Amino acid sequence: MATQQNKTKPYLSTVIFGAISISFYVLLFTNEKLVTETFTRGGIYTLYPVGTAFLFSFIHGAFASNLLSVLGIEAKKK
Amino acid sequence: MKRLVIAVLFSLFLLPLASIVFAAGGAGPDKSMMKGVITKINPESGTIVLQKDATGELKTLIIGEKVKPETIRLNKKVLVMLDHDAGENVVKDISIMFMDMTLKKLLSLLTIGLVGGILSGFIGSGGAFVLTPAMMSLGAPGAVAVASNMCHKFPKAMIGTYKRWKYGQVDLKLAATMATTAIIGVQIGVMIQKYILNKWGNDGSNLYVSAMFVIVLVLVGGYVAYDAYKLSKGGKDKTEQTASTLALAMQKINIPPMMNFKVAKVRISAWVTIPVGLATGMLAATIAVGGFIGVPGMIYVIGASAMVASATELGIAFIMGLWGSIQWGLSGLIDIRLSVLLLATSLIGVQVGALGTTYVKDYVIKITMAATMLIVAVSRGALLPGYLAKFGLVGQISPSTAAFLESLSFWALVAALGTAGFISTGAMVKGMIADRQEAKLNIIAEADRA
Repeated sequence: MATQQNKTKPYLSTVIFGAISISFYVLLFTNEKLVTETFTRGGIYTLYPVGTAFLFSFIHGAFASNLLSVLGIEAKKK
Repeated sequence: MKRLVIAVLFSLFLLPLASIVFAAGGAGPDKSMMKGVITKINPESGTIVLQKDATGELKTLIIGEKVKPETIRLNKKVLVMLDHDAGENVVKDISIMFMDMTLKKLLSLLTIGLVGGILSGFIGSGGAFVLTPAMMSLGAPGAVAVASNMCHKFPKAMIGTYKRWKYGQVDLKLAATMATTAIIGVQIGVMIQKYILNKWGNDGSNLYVSAMFVIVLVLVGGYVAYDAYKLSKGGKDKTEQTASTLALAMQKINIPPMMNFKVAKVRISAWVTIPVGLATGMLAATIAVGGFIGVPGMIYVIGASAMVASATELGIAFIMGLWGSIQWGLSGLIDIRLSVLLLATSLIGVQVGALGTTYVKDYVIKITMAATMLIVAVSRGALLPGYLAKFGLVGQISPSTAAFLESLSFWALVAALGTAGFISTGAMVKGMIADRQEAKLNIIAEADRA
């Protein structure tokens, strides 16, 4: 516990990844109609939903990971 | 020998890969399912004009008896199912592809995403049994719900795998081996699912899915529960249990290629892993929870610990989810809004669940899994009489009984998710508190020594 408190918490990364993540969500939902239409055209367009899912998982996943570290929720140290 | 294994795995992998190339080449969705926009309704002749999605071709279709009038809406993208038994171009079902997103729906998706994520990170699978029906009850057509869930599952599993790999719990080789065969299982599962949907429609599909759910979950869940009960009574101090008798027998089978799984600490014939992988894939494609077979399969047939099996399952779920998403994407059925909304919270949940496993003992994972499986079985089992009645296999049930069974089913799902969330977070929090107290004691002891 003491070692955890001494570590610098990733506040900056959390904010940066959080901001990018939110802007992606806003971008997607403000263009809802265009996105849903294009993403469901089938065939090669399958790259759109799959690529988006990957992109969101990296950005939002990094945000989530940093957020948990900031909150002090971490794995047991062996 | 290694070369042989690689060659076998590679050829297994190429098979579905070849089909994707063909599918991308224009096979598209099933002939009985069409996507497009209704441009005109002719009430006199009882027909609609559908502008098909990919080609833009206009097609006149006859409105079948089963079509609900409220689903016929102009200028909205719809999914049209044809009833070949009723004649050519007769519509059986129309569902609006993209539901309107309200605040209530958004919050529902975020909540189930979070709990589903925690469960996934903790037991390697889960959530889909609630996510898919929940999305359907919010208004997504069945196929879109399954597709969107699949597209949310693979990124979630990817993050979960990464986390649990860092904790030293994922056997990557086992994951790759299982996933390769599971992909073929998925292909078979998708084919069965599409066949059933085309032949018997939604009712048939529901009956099949529910029956599969109940049979698999009762048998496997019951066994896991029995095993977890024995472990929790017999040796709470045990961190890892010994392999099951079946797994030990399987490990003695010496048919090449033999494979060494270092993290799982198992040496076993590839021919044992293949059926387990196939079953995982088939179940994943049909009821979207392959993990309910994959994890017990890895524990009781292959001989891995629950910790390694549940972590490895995440790796399998990633590869299979990605594969499944491409399949559903080729048919253009993924509603990405649903996928990313689920991801918003499930990516947090899956990491909480994953780190939670570092604080608990092996049997806690089994208890959580068994509890989930058995309660979900109750939920699906409650729906069976209704589906059977629709097929005339049992007598008609009264509306009040039907309503009771439906609410029982719904509340059982909520209970399953709640119970699993409660057991996993409870064990996790307990572990964290104990760990922090221990750390404090260590500091005091060090200070004393100084």
